Order: sequence, then C-alpha cells, then structure tokens
Amino acid sequence: MAVINLKEKIIQVKIVYYGPGRSGKTTNLVYIYNKLQEKLKDKMTNKLISINTKGDRTLFFDFLPVELGKIHGLDLKLQIYTTPGQLIYDVTRKLVLKGVDGLVFTADSLLVRREANLENLEILKKNLAYYNSSLEEIPIAFQWNKRDLAEDGVPLLDIDTLETDLNAVLKAPSFPASALNGYNVLKTLKMAAKLTIQSVIKKLVLPEGRAKAIGS
Amino acid sequence: MNIILKKNKVNELENLLDKLIEEGGASYAFLTDMAGNLICKNGESPVDTTTLAVLAAANFAATKEIARLIGEDEFSLLFHRGQKENIHFTKISPDILLIVLFKPYVSLGLLRLKVDSVKKDIGCLENKIYGCD
Repeated sequence: MAVINLKEKIIQVKIVYYGPGRSGKTTNLVYIYNKLQEKLKDKMTNKLISINTKGDRTLFFDFLPVELGKIHGLDLKLQIYTTPGQLIYDVTRKLVLKGVDGLVFTADSLLVRREANLENLEILKKNLAYYNSSLEEIPIAFQWNKRDLAEDGVPLLDIDTLETDLNAVLKAPSFPASALNGYNVLKTLKMAAKLTIQSVIKKLVLPEGRAKAIGS
Repeated sequence: MNIILKKNKVNELENLLDKLIEEGGASYAFLTDMAGNLICKNGESPVDTTTLAVLAAANFAATKEIARLIGEDEFSLLFHRGQKENIHFTKISPDILLIVLFKPYVSLGLLRLKVDSVKKDIGCLENKIYGCD
C-alpha cells in the first residue's frame, strides 16, 4: 500500500525481496546500504535494520529506507524489506508482505537449490493470496543470484532453466546477479522500483484504481 | 490499497496528535498503516520515525499473531515500559495504528484516556479514507 502525503510531498512504496533461505536477499540489502554509505558518507542517515537469529539468519525481516529523488514533484521513498527465507518462518514472512507494492524474487542459482526456488515461488503465491493479491497484480523482478560461483566451478542452474522454472508465465524482467560483489544488484532494484512506481501511479490515475483519498 | 493524504487532512490529523502531547503528556505521537508506512507525526522525534513506524507495525502484527495462537482475537493493551521512554500502541482501524511515546513520569491511565478520546476523533478517519466525509 503506497502512501502519498501531499503536505510533506512524499510518496512511499514498499518493495520486498523474497526467495529461498540463503539465496542472498540480505546480502542484496547490505550491498545497497554500503553503496549508499560510500556515496553519502556523513550525510547518511538511513539505517539498515535487521531482526536476526543468533546465527545471523533473518528471523523477521531486514529493512532499509532509501530516497530515490523526485517523481512528479514528490520525494520518492522506497521502503525495502527482505523476508526470512526459511520455511519455519512462514507466519512472519507473510506479515512482511502486508501492503507490498513491488517484489524482487531472489532465486538461488545453485543446482541443488532448484526445488527450493520452485517451492518458494509457490509459497509466495499463497502468501499473496492471503492478502487477496497475486503475482499478476504486484510487479516483480527476478534476480538469478550467485552467478559469481560459476568461476569457482560450482554447478549452477543455467539461466534458461531458471527462466523456464520461474519466469515462463510472468515473463518479468530478470537479471543474472551476484549480491556478494554487486553485479546487477542496483540494476535489479532500479527495475523493481520503476515497475512499482508505474504500477502505483496506474492504480492512482485509473478511475477504478483502489486509492483512498483523504482530504480535499 | 493506496492512500493519498491531502494537506488539509494531514493538518487535521496533526492537530489531533497534538492533543495527546498537550493534554495527555505524550512526547511524540504518530500514525502508521499496518504495512509500516508513516502517515503523519507530531512532537519532538527522538529517533528515526520511518524506522520506528516499520518496527512498531511489525511488532503489532507479530503480537496479534501471538494473540491468535493463544485463542485471543487481539490484545487490547499493548505498551512497553522503559527507563527513559514508554511506548503505547493502539489500533485505530483495521489499517491504521496510533503510536505514542511518553516519559515514565506521565500517568499511563491519563494517557490511555486521552488516547481513547483521540481514537474516537480519528475514528471517522476510515470513513474519510473511503471518501465518505
């Protein structure tokens, strides 16, 4: 659910990174955070919030607010979240998806994680259905993460297999990436942000758009 | 469902939040939606409100799930007491949450009374959201 505050001239949208456990969702956010810190240095006020287990696995979510310039005279604020990938955290994962405006599906390119990717996409559909939503309504970008491991000779799923398994129906934008070294991390985020803003604006301008207007 | 807040309504909501500060002794009050999007705020912010709104909404949602697990619909009172600051959560409508920060020397009873009164004032917010005002 996007919020537009015309007094403060702000538009806030929520983007959620979803995917199997250890697929690199948190690593994406850490990379984005470090890049922002490099750029803004002392001016950096944004904090990366992580609610982790003792073993550094995401328990509830990671959260990073990012300002991305102006759109139609409004300051664009992205609220970026990750979900816990492990199946036992299904309840908290569902909570993070409440009010989601856009998604990034971080798939694990490891050959052995093929089933985990498929299973997670199905759970994502179920989680969205809980909020009477679906992948047809929420814009999504796919990220085929851990491509850097190919250099170390680790068996990976080829891009075509990932596309066929996960993106054959949606045909959404997708990026081979490495969250660890930053390859296509920002590109994925930019695409997700672009699709999300387009979708929010479309919902707002269409007469049947489900926007609630407060005030006159 | 997206929310567009126009200037006059933000002012109206801020005035209602100001009541909690002036009459209830709160130090800071804000409204967030259940997804953690900050709607409006009033008072002197001790911290980053964007993050506070996100964590408050998450905390409320997690507590609600705990309530459901033990057979409750939800807990009617949700507040945390600290050494220097207390925080009080109130559900205003299915989509809106009111968060109030107040010092330990402020009476919780008085604050709850004021929150109840403001809650009624903001009660028509949902109607306003749906364009019924």
